[in-house]
Amino acid sequence: MAEMVRKASAFEIFNHWVLAISCLLLALSGYGFLFKLEGITALFGGANAMKDIHNYLGIVFTLSLFLSIFNWLKDALSFDSDDIKWIACAGGYLSKHPKVPPMGKLNTGQKLYYLALLAFGIAIAISGFVIWLMPGQRNYIILSHLVHNISFVVLMIAVPVHIYLATIANPGTFRIMVYGTVPYKWAAKRHPKWIQELSHGK
Amino acid sequence: MGRKALLISPELCIGCRACQVACKSWQQLPADKTKNTGSYENPGDLTPNLYNKIRFVEVPSQENPVRWLFVSQRCMHCDDAGCMKICPAPGALYKTKEGIVAFNKDKCIGCKLCVAGCPFDVPRYDEKGKISKCNLCEDRVAENMIPACAKTCPTGSIKYGDWDEMVASSKKAGYEKLYGQMDLGGLGVLYAFKDTPKLYGLNERPQIPESIVFWHNVLKPLAYIGLGGVVAASALHYLLIGPHKEEEEV
Repeated sequence: MAEMVRKASAFEIFNHWVLAISCLLLALSGYGFLFKLEGITALFGGANAMKDIHNYLGIVFTLSLFLSIFNWLKDALSFDSDDIKWIACAGGYLSKHPKVPPMGKLNTGQKLYYLALLAFGIAIAISGFVIWLMPGQRNYIILSHLVHNISFVVLMIAVPVHIYLATIANPGTFRIMVYGTVPYKWAAKRHPKWIQELSHGK
Repeated sequence: MGRKALLISPELCIGCRACQVACKSWQQLPADKTKNTGSYENPGDLTPNLYNKIRFVEVPSQENPVRWLFVSQRCMHCDDAGCMKICPAPGALYKTKEGIVAFNKDKCIGCKLCVAGCPFDVPRYDEKGKISKCNLCEDRVAENMIPACAKTCPTGSIKYGDWDEMVASSKKAGYEKLYGQMDLGGLGVLYAFKDTPKLYGLNERPQIPESIVFWHNVLKPLAYIGLGGVVAASALHYLLIGPHKEEEEV
């Protein structure tokens, strides 16, 4: 077995799953509401039950999103000149033999994705709570409904890309969400600056 | 069978409010306890138990110190209904073949989004948190009877009939354009006003909030075009460029 290095803590893995599952269930029920899809409401046990599930899952999602700040925000906010080069070469994703500038623990795409998730996640959460807890207050609802739906559209574009890139597009990445560890060699190639930091720390 | 409509002529209304009583009688709605506020209007606003109401407007002027306007107020049964647009519950609000915007309390999830979508401040919620509003006696109409309010109106202030005929007959009577004829795809409740709608307590140009129209026309399609687009793009990327495998790196 190759030498492994830990990239995600047990808590980080757990919280990532909570965030992912609540997000996907919220999205599914969200599509059910958006297009009045009886097939989806039936899956949740009717529209009334789906509303309750959607609302309470919103609490789970919000808490999980809040906890994720401790997992990823610090790394997501550290940008340097390599990030600009990463954006300039689109992360190497448009090439069969990518040459990517050296990355830290998170690459530029992961950082930007997390910041977008956090921003639109907060927006969709707050607007969702307004719709839930301030029913009938017309002006608040009209604004929140708009914010909720704009955030939904953005997340429904961003999340599938994240899932694709973190699974089949980059073999070896998904195991982070399962085991939390990656082969040392893999990490040294994909996140050299992080590995450097680690060895300096030792 | 075409679209039906109510034609309201406030100038014919004597304020007897038999329509309010007939409505409660047919819809089996209890009375609301109210307070005397010094106005003829009672109750002061639509409630979950009051589907239609006579609004009382006093317009005193030099030549006519006792000009009283009685205006029937209720769900307008819009053709382009904001409540139906925004409602997220399948089957909670639906349109009958006569153009009535009707509701099904069993399917209503009580989210109250319809309140935000309605340009006329009509939807109310009962004690169980379900929508409550005029359904133009859809059960009577389905049996070719006329709505209770129109049936009982002693002066012809509330008339019921084919939408086209209501417009045509009032045009003959000298009303160039009815209130609601051109708004929101044409309202199912038309008003023969002799003065500006504002005087009768109605908006000159009723509209569904712009953000809800934007949401319906732009964001809703984007929600599936966006998702479908990135899924398709990911599949294309996988096929054309392929995964970023370690052995491909030198």
